[in-house]
Order: sequence, then C-alpha cells, then structure tokens
Amino acid sequence: MTAASRGMRSLVTESKDSPASKVNANDNSSIITSGLSKMYEKLKAVDSLNLAVDSGDIFGFLGPNGAGKTTTIRMLCGLIPPSAGIARVAGFDIIRESMKIRSVIGLLPESSGFYNWMNAEEYLFHFALLYKIEPSVARNRALRLIEKVGLAEKAHAPISYYSRGMRQRLGLARALINDPRIIFLDEPTLGLDPSGQEEIRKILLELNREKGVTIFLSSHALGEVSSLCNKIAVINHGQLIAKGNIDELRAQAGVSNTIVVRVVNTPAARLQLSNMPFQGKTSEEGSLISVTFSEGSQGPSNYDNVIECIIKQGLQVYDIRRPDTSLEEVFFKFTRPKNVDSDAEKNGGVR
Amino acid sequence: MTLELYKSEISGNFYSLRGTSWIVAASLIFSLVAYLLLTDKELSLLDQGEMLFTLSEIVISLGTIMAVTSASSTISTEIESKTFESLLLTPTSSRQIAFQKLLSITTSWFFLYVIAIPYLIAISNGTNLSLSSILYIGIYGTLLVVGFSAISIALSAKLKSSKNSVMVALMVLLIMLAPSIFFATSLKKSSFGMAIENINPVSHAMNSLDNVLVDNQQSLFEQASHLLEVSIFAVICLAILTYSSRRFEVSPVV
Repeated sequence: MTAASRGMRSLVTESKDSPASKVNANDNSSIITSGLSKMYEKLKAVDSLNLAVDSGDIFGFLGPNGAGKTTTIRMLCGLIPPSAGIARVAGFDIIRESMKIRSVIGLLPESSGFYNWMNAEEYLFHFALLYKIEPSVARNRALRLIEKVGLAEKAHAPISYYSRGMRQRLGLARALINDPRIIFLDEPTLGLDPSGQEEIRKILLELNREKGVTIFLSSHALGEVSSLCNKIAVINHGQLIAKGNIDELRAQAGVSNTIVVRVVNTPAARLQLSNMPFQGKTSEEGSLISVTFSEGSQGPSNYDNVIECIIKQGLQVYDIRRPDTSLEEVFFKFTRPKNVDSDAEKNGGVR
Repeated sequence: MTLELYKSEISGNFYSLRGTSWIVAASLIFSLVAYLLLTDKELSLLDQGEMLFTLSEIVISLGTIMAVTSASSTISTEIESKTFESLLLTPTSSRQIAFQKLLSITTSWFFLYVIAIPYLIAISNGTNLSLSSILYIGIYGTLLVVGFSAISIALSAKLKSSKNSVMVALMVLLIMLAPSIFFATSLKKSSFGMAIENINPVSHAMNSLDNVLVDNQQSLFEQASHLLEVSIFAVICLAILTYSSRRFEVSPVV
C-alpha cells in the first residue's frame, strides 16, 4: 500500500524512552527509532528521537537549519553511529547490520560530490558494480536511470561539465541504482529549475506508487513536502516537536485549515454564495470570485461539506485549492521561538 | 570481494594530471640521473656499484614520496570533495575501501618501478648487479611503499584534511629518509646515528642496498636481518591501517 493510495491516515507511532522492539509500531514499519540520540562532544545534535515510518510512506522530515535532520538521516543510513538509542531500517539494526541496510537503501545527500573524470554512464555503472550488480544488468540499469532522470543527451559528457541541476539528477539516479526499498532524500530539488523540480517529484511519486518505495524526504520546500508527503515530522534543536499528517499538524499548531474556491463570476453567483450555510471571505478576481473558507467555529467542519454545498447551489467552480502557506504557518508555529511568535502577532505582521 | 574500487582508483590515477605528471617527472629524473652518472666527469669516476646505489636511492625515494603524497590525500580528498558519503553507502566495508586504495597506490609504485628497470640495466651494464638491483629495489621499494602508504591512508582518514595529512605524512617520510640521504658517515657511526639507523626502516633498506650493490653481498641470507626489519615495519603499518579502518565515518554536520 503506497502513500498515495492510503492518503492521509494515522501517523507516526511513539513510545517514549523505550527500546525499538517495544515501540508501538506495526510490522509494516520501514523505519523505527527509539531514543535515538547523537552527541558531538557537548552538543546534542539529535535528542531522543522516536519515529516510525511505515512501508510505502512518503515521510516529510522538516526542521530549520541545524535542527538535526541530516544527522538523523546519516544515522539511519548507517553512516554514523548513534550516541544512544536504537533504530531499525528495513528491519535491520543500524549499528550491527549497517552493511545490510546499505544494500536496500538509497541516499541523495544535500550536497553530493562526483568523480568528475567520469561521465554519467560510467559513474552509475561504477556504483552499480560497487553494489555487486551483474555487469550486464548494471549497464542496462544505468542507461535506464539516465533516461529516467533526463540526462540521456549528456550521458557521455564528463561530469565536470554538469550544472548543479544535472548533478542533482545524477545523484538521484545513483540513489536508485541498487533498486532501493527505502530512499532518503536531503533537499532533492535544491538548485533545480521548476520543470526539473516537477520531474523529480514525478519520479518520486512513480517510485512510490509503482514499487511501493518508502521515501524519507527532508526538505525546506514546504510546498513540495505538503504535496508529496502523507506524513510529516517536525524537528527542532534535535528534538521531535510534532508529527502527523498535515491536518493533524495544523490542529496541533492551532492553525486553521483553509480552502480557496474560485467560482465563475455571474450575477447569480453572489446570491448563491450568500445562501450557503457557512460564509467565506470573498474577493472578485475579474471574471472569477475567490472565496476562502476557514475551518473553525463559523466555518465548515470538513471540506467535503464545502464542495457539496457549492455543487448544491449550482455554482460554476473554476478551481479549488489548499494554499501552500498553511504548512509554512504550521512550520513557523513549531520552530519559531515563542517571543518571536508573539512579537509578530502584536505587530500584526505576516510570518 | 569486488575490486571495482581498485579499478576506478587506478583509472582515476592515470586519467588525473597528478598520476601522469608523476610518471613523466620520474622518467625525466631517471634519465637525467643516468645521463649525469654516465657522462659527468666526476660522477662517471664512481664505481658502477655506487652509481647503481645512487640510482636505487632515487628510485626508492621517489616511489615512497609518490606513494605518501597519493595515500595521505586519498580519503581526505574524497571527504573534501563529498564523494566519500556515497562510497560509504555502498556495501563496501571501510576496510575494503582502505585496502583497495592501498592496492592501487602499490600498483602505481609498480609502474614507477617498471620505468626504472631499463635505467638500472643501463647503469649496471657489464656487471653482475643487474638482477640483484632489480630484485632488491623491488622488494624494499614495495615493503616501504606498502608501509608508508598504509600509515598515510590511516592519517588521511583520521585528519580528514588533505593539506594536514599530506604535510604530516611527508614530514614523517622526510625524517625517515634524512639519515640515509643527509647524515654524514661520522654522524651515522655516532651512538645517536646508530640508534636512528636501527629503528629506521628506510636506513635498513638503504644499508642493505649498499651492502648488495657496493659491497657485493648479494645473497638474501646476508640481507636477512635488514629484510626482516623492513618487513616488520610494513606489517606494523598494515596492522595500524587494519585497526584504523574498522569504521570510517563522514564529517559531522550540525
């Protein structure tokens, strides 16, 4: 069952200060951590992290710079040992079975280096052989991935000539060369142009839908996270501070859900809108009327009601969207220091 | 165990400017030294054994300097250019990474050694020293290259900075090379000089080559004590590398 097919459903399970074996996670978990911590001398980079990510999830991992996201990913990939706590990835212990983990995961780090004297095909073939893939299979897989990430035309140019975006695509292809069950992505669309970002998102969704690959996505592109992920965790100062699907995060942060519906501006439309059992904030946009509904005491209890009412009123719907800013608002609620938050509210400023 | 990493290291070495410039530089130096030894009025007065010994010192010194320079930057360069993380993500253990890199550096030494062989044959022409010089330079050069490279790879992984690890490794090598190259005979025979010579693997190798090429003591049996000392050095260095490559880690990010 993939993230897309399940849609938004209940979340990360947690068990405070208990070993991973006792974490209240089902057998379907791809990643489980319990009390996972990493100390660098006196600095606690990750502090008692308890997470569970189900197989087939697209899991968003958010946090400000220096929150501990990359350190967490590196521990889960077996690149650095934790100072305390335990974790299992694909059923393997991150300390004792890190070699097994490496065979079944892929990682696209935030900034990755490449062997500049190679071309894309040689590079992927080299990594495929390091993963002990048969040379004939390796060659085919390298070519298929080059095609998939849109580098076919430049496959034989030395990597030293590649732009940042092309290197990012090649990095993604490398992360997929071993046909991983779990992919860790640290800022995968950083430096990519909008069409490149869209292509990467498509590839990730395709992998998740078709192969059920679990995706652990760390990103500052909140729009990307809200559009791709079925579960999200927010981390700050090494500690997990919120987790859930986007609606649950909004509820935890006390941020109201909003939905914007644009209908065709006809003489009857205003009357039809005023006849609705709940009112939204309306504004005219030329031939359209934009109505913003917020969930709350006066607003609808869920958005199915909004859609149903609009259809009943016979309004001609142009589009319906959920603004991306809602996750941004949630993120700031969780990660901004309290005094900054209250100052902003006092000043009536937009965060 | 796949040798994929070793193959890519070798191709990297030879495609890189550094790899090819070492070979070109070594050929030029060997040509120049051989030319001077054979044509210079004063140098040509040297005994052929001494000429061979001079060339042997140069071959071994160049080989170890090349090996130490490459080895001491081999892992730190990967860390600095951010390629190490993706390498560690493959199911290749840290120890396999370290030893395949060591193997590739030793292979580069063999290339240098093969380049030196015609010069050794030319200088030893007309004597019975050709085979001995080729054999002993091969043995001592390989043992010293393996030992110094192993230590340098361990340093490179530990210091995570090419600048620092190259500097430290070269300094260690120069200290080892100094007694044989720079110590005067009187200093070598002082108690201090003798103590240094006794613990220094480079001195053992050079003294042994001197015995073989100048004093004509060519049998392996006569050189057994020197061979043993240099072998012990190589084994200790390999043990250090084995221990230090239990688990390589990427640099922390906070």
